[in-house]
Amino acid sequence: MGPIRYLVTVNSRIPAFLALILIAGCSSQEPVVDLTTPSFVGAMPANFSGSWERDYSRGEDVQGALNTLFRQRNQQIQRQQQHPSSPRTGNSGAGISQREGNALLALARLVEEITRPDVLQISQDDFEIRVARKDDFAMSCSFFEGVAQGTNSPYGTEVCNWDGNSLVSYLVLPDGLQISHRFTMSSDGAYLRVITTATSSATRTPFTLHRFYIKFEAPASAFNCIETLSMKRVCSTGEIKP
Amino acid sequence: MKRLAAVVAAMLCLAPQLVLAQLNVSIAAFDPGVPEDNSSHRDLQVFPKIREIESMFLPFVLRQTLVDSGDWGAVRVVPEADTASELLITGRIVHSDGEMLAVQLSAVDARGHEWTNQTYTTQSDFDDLYAGFLDDLQTVRDGFDDKTLRNIVGTSLMRYSAELAPDAFDGYIEMQSDGTVRLLRLPAEGDPMLARIRRIRSVEYVMTDAIDQKFRELHEEVDSVYEIWRKYRRWYTNFKVEEAQRNEFSKTNAGSGTYEAIKHSYDNYRMDRLAAQEQDKWAVGFNNEMEPIIEKMEERIAEMNGWVEDGYVEWARILDELFEIESGLD
Repeated sequence: MGPIRYLVTVNSRIPAFLALILIAGCSSQEPVVDLTTPSFVGAMPANFSGSWERDYSRGEDVQGALNTLFRQRNQQIQRQQQHPSSPRTGNSGAGISQREGNALLALARLVEEITRPDVLQISQDDFEIRVARKDDFAMSCSFFEGVAQGTNSPYGTEVCNWDGNSLVSYLVLPDGLQISHRFTMSSDGAYLRVITTATSSATRTPFTLHRFYIKFEAPASAFNCIETLSMKRVCSTGEIKP
Repeated sequence: MKRLAAVVAAMLCLAPQLVLAQLNVSIAAFDPGVPEDNSSHRDLQVFPKIREIESMFLPFVLRQTLVDSGDWGAVRVVPEADTASELLITGRIVHSDGEMLAVQLSAVDARGHEWTNQTYTTQSDFDDLYAGFLDDLQTVRDGFDDKTLRNIVGTSLMRYSAELAPDAFDGYIEMQSDGTVRLLRLPAEGDPMLARIRRIRSVEYVMTDAIDQKFRELHEEVDSVYEIWRKYRRWYTNFKVEEAQRNEFSKTNAGSGTYEAIKHSYDNYRMDRLAAQEQDKWAVGFNNEMEPIIEKMEERIAEMNGWVEDGYVEWARILDELFEIESGLD
């Protein structure tokens, strides 16, 4: 996986105040997501709207992904030991240190927690995509005239970008913790692949997990409900108008 | 107390000096103060639809404050600014988050003289917000003698008349280069054109009062829900402060990259977003609840305004014809 880099507007009110944040590999410095130019023109490149449930027959479990990662690193080290004169590839020719191993396990544990929800409810209009997940905040991707709008808070920055027909959501948190989700839909719109990648300042190796989801029709409720402020959620079996 | 003062004044033959003209006040629906750049709304915590409701709701609260003071004539909330008003108050919401409310308020009399134009803020209730504004208005008004106040009333009437029947009344006022208006003279008391204008204006006041009544109804319907909204916004503001403090105190000593450290980092962001999304849900709830009320009110006001505007055209035509007949012009 190549380095993912993007440019984030920390405060959209001050366009000149831009921060360059590098995700994953740090070998190159040019930004990938520029929050000053549109990432698409016209309609959004794909429509993810709908209910998606985990397809347990596909994708990875965390243990499997960790095993693959460690095996790849070991093979890489062996290759370098057998051919010491060949140019080094990847980030390091050394084995995984105890500290880095622990950091990778921590990332794997966090990714497992984040990707635990079985169902994703995605709503999308011309300007925003919201990915609602049980027991977690809804990921929100806003675009204004095609330009991505970041969500800034004292605790982190969230921003999205389109990469072809894939939507990539980036979350940048303090202490070098970065989490990205890449959403790609199959051409028939029946499957959704979500690749979640987490990195931290304690390891040069990102942890990546693939999940697959199948589209399903959520059963229609017998009630029509709206939110109100004074009576909370109001439901009726008949038509309900705001 | 005022009555006693009037009796004493009468005894001392001071009554003419004390019976000051009471100015009628028009308060235009406020400018919601929503930035044009949609992308800034989230950062500025501006909820456009709620600002729209506030822009109609807050003028009515000001109206009540002025009425309760007993120092003013008729106080009306009107959909749009009318420069012929004896005293016109306009406002723009600068900030509103439940914790703090800031409104820029301006008062201009019929002569075009600005009484005050500044931003008033409160962190408690609306009375507090408007008390300062009321003091400023009263200070300016107390500085005027009865002649000046009557001049304002006269200018207002002539501006209104000149708008309706320019041929007959243009010569009574003069626009100054600084944008103010000078009253040159007043028609004779028995002037038939003036009598007609007064009748038309009183009909318009009836309509304005009907529109004002709609704002009053809006206030009654919105008041309790708006209070809940303000309470939630205050909760949210406090929550953000408490969260920042909690985060400061609960800073983990776990080493960088450990599960505890990255989980702490993620959870802080998660809690912050959940609270912000809960606030968005309240805003939707508020809109859902208020939308039918606002729609109904706007429909009725549009109907009444349409009636007044149609009437205006007809009145202006009739007055023009009458003026031609009475003045012998062809």
